[in-house]
Amino acid sequence: MQFLRTLVVGLLLLPLPALAYDVLVLQSLREKSYEEALRGVRRECPASMRTVVLSDYAEIDLTRLLREEHPRLIIAVGDRALEFAERQRSIPVLFMMALQAKVRTGAPVAGVWMLLDPQRYLSIFDTLGTRRVAVLYDPQRTGAYLKRAQLASRRSGIELYAREVRSPKETVAVLESLRGKVDALWMLPDLTAVSTETTEAYFLFSQGERIPVVTFADAYLAMGGAVALSFDRYDIGRQLGGMAQSLLEGTSVEELQTQYPRKVLMKVNDGVLRRFRLALPGGS
Amino acid sequence: MPLRFRIPHVAKNFRFRIYITFTATIALLTAAFAAFYVITEVNGFRATMEREGRLLATVLAQNSRLPLFAENREALALLAAGTARYPSVLYVSINNTEGRPLTEVHNRKETAGGAIDMVVEVTSPGLVSSPEAVLLGHAPVDQQRVIGQVHLRLDTSSARERLKKLVAATLAIGTLFWIVVSLLSYQILKRVTASFNMLMRGIEDIGSGNLSARVNLDSDDELGRAANAINAMAASLELRELENLSLQEELLKAMRLEVQEEKKRVMARLIHTNKMTSLGLLLSSMAHEINNPNASIRFSGHIIAKIWNDALPLLDGVWREEGAFYLGGLPFQQARAALQENADKIVENSERIARVVQGLRDYGVGDRSGLRPDLQVNAAVEAALSVLACQMHKDIWLKTSLNRELPVITGNQHQIEQVLINLVLNAMQAFPEGRGVVLLTTSYDPLAGEVVIEVEDDGVGISAENRERLFEPFYSTKLDRGGSGLGLYISQYIVAEHGGRLELVPRPGGGTLARVLLPAVPEVPAPAG
Repeated sequence: MQFLRTLVVGLLLLPLPALAYDVLVLQSLREKSYEEALRGVRRECPASMRTVVLSDYAEIDLTRLLREEHPRLIIAVGDRALEFAERQRSIPVLFMMALQAKVRTGAPVAGVWMLLDPQRYLSIFDTLGTRRVAVLYDPQRTGAYLKRAQLASRRSGIELYAREVRSPKETVAVLESLRGKVDALWMLPDLTAVSTETTEAYFLFSQGERIPVVTFADAYLAMGGAVALSFDRYDIGRQLGGMAQSLLEGTSVEELQTQYPRKVLMKVNDGVLRRFRLALPGGS
Repeated sequence: MPLRFRIPHVAKNFRFRIYITFTATIALLTAAFAAFYVITEVNGFRATMEREGRLLATVLAQNSRLPLFAENREALALLAAGTARYPSVLYVSINNTEGRPLTEVHNRKETAGGAIDMVVEVTSPGLVSSPEAVLLGHAPVDQQRVIGQVHLRLDTSSARERLKKLVAATLAIGTLFWIVVSLLSYQILKRVTASFNMLMRGIEDIGSGNLSARVNLDSDDELGRAANAINAMAASLELRELENLSLQEELLKAMRLEVQEEKKRVMARLIHTNKMTSLGLLLSSMAHEINNPNASIRFSGHIIAKIWNDALPLLDGVWREEGAFYLGGLPFQQARAALQENADKIVENSERIARVVQGLRDYGVGDRSGLRPDLQVNAAVEAALSVLACQMHKDIWLKTSLNRELPVITGNQHQIEQVLINLVLNAMQAFPEGRGVVLLTTSYDPLAGEVVIEVEDDGVGISAENRERLFEPFYSTKLDRGGSGLGLYISQYIVAEHGGRLELVPRPGGGTLARVLLPAVPEVPAPAG
């Protein structure tokens, strides 16, 4: 009996082996699209990973976690996870599926935007022959993206009528102010410019002005959108997985630029285009 | 007065009752349908108004969603004004979530006809996801958020106006419908009940006694079968009626005949009574007329006999003294006997006359006195023959054959004598030449217990025509020869009074047989020893 007690105490006093893995995956919540993207990550990055779903915990001590587990890389999936991961600067962070992602200068953060390359949209407008394109945005949310878009538009000869919207309530009035001035409407995934209350305003404007709306998701085609350019979540994961693998192989995060999704899916509402007497070669 | 006596006759008409019932039912149904239609229409109109109002408010809410979200009062005012142009809209307001109106339009003063308030919430569009959710591939969720409300007040006075018009139109159409249906139903009822009326007329005709009437209804329905049954019944009744009439006529005829027979019998009895009365008077008169001289004759006979008896010793003395002499052309000795004898005959015949007259009087007054229980029929025969002796002619031979063993009868000898005299006189008068044989026999029929007296002659007989009237009083075939017509009548009466019968039958070989049958007194067996 005495021997047995001594054995148990001895086992308890032995130092536990550290949980060794390379990648800490911080996931904002349990989301099917996140899982899909992570499958893409794992496809390209076979490193050991531990996934922590933030929504499963009331509070997580990230510093302690990193100190004890020593991951080499953090993959943040979702805005909250990115925000959580940015609290530390010791371990490089790769993000994806974060709509509100903003990369601060000097921060070890890179990733894949949820916004497509503006050039993709501009080429669509160019193909459609719409030179004056209106776009509503919130400078706080998509201001940087729009600047890049404006730069690109100048190169492609597309005149962007960018209008700032600082509150969803302004959307309708701003749209009204664009009546008769533009040939197309570019719908950005800006949570201020596009809200559930104002979404239809875009399409009402489109109907009233008989101009196409180029949007960022297939779902809006059913509401009257003409063209939808969207990304492939699995491919975003693979894209990010490649970046992670590169990081793990020694590439510094500063060398890795945040990238636009490389694979773009385009869908077209033929009925709307036909009504507006527009054509888009290769549209589906 | 009870109500039923005030009901006009037409109200008892079957067709009228059906018509009234039908038209009343149609009126009730029409009224019910009209009321139902009006109520349904009014409710439908109100529902339509409410639906239109709700639709209007919903459209306004849909249209004002974006301006309301953007709090664009100008756009909201334009929308509200556009909605307020509808004539039934009294008031429009678009409110924010706190209920504060962002725009209001008062169209006009509210009428007294009432109003409907319609409040519809303005919501964010459903099935629209946020950009983030869309990018994450979330399916759209219908989560509508209330961002305000639209308040409409609708004027319902038009419903009242519509109700008035509807009621008026419904009443007019209903009344017209009722009139048309009533007229049509009258025509139909008239056609349908024609058979019934025809049947009723036929029944009434038959019921009033015209059994030859028939219901001329040619159909195969219930009325037709009823008409056939009634016709068959009427035919049967007519046949019975004819049979009854026939029987009645026969009855009347029989009664008439019976009355006539009775009348004849009564008249005969009256005549008989009258004759009997006359006969009684005649007999009384005759008796009185005969009795007086007869009494004088009998008295004279007695006087003559007394005088002769007194004178006879003297005349005998004269005869003895003076010898024979003549009296009345006869020698005294003959005259002596003849006078005594004639004097006796005077008295005797006078007494017979008195008895005959008395008998006639008794007969005339129905006297039955003088019946004897031990009358010897042969004695009566002999007495009658003695009376008839002076009536006998030399050419008529009266033969008698009397049974001396006759039983006695109960009777009146004088009456039996009278019967025999009548019968013998009739027989004597039956010879046309005044010459013949009259046979008078008496016998006894032990089987019948009757004493039989028969008077036969071989005279002319009795014709069939006269035979039926022989016993009538005052009927005689010899009235020209002094016949009274009472002989056989009285004789039959006397015989009948004695419980017997008088028969006159033709005699084989000619002539007549008169037979008197009188019940004999039953012989009482002599006590032994």
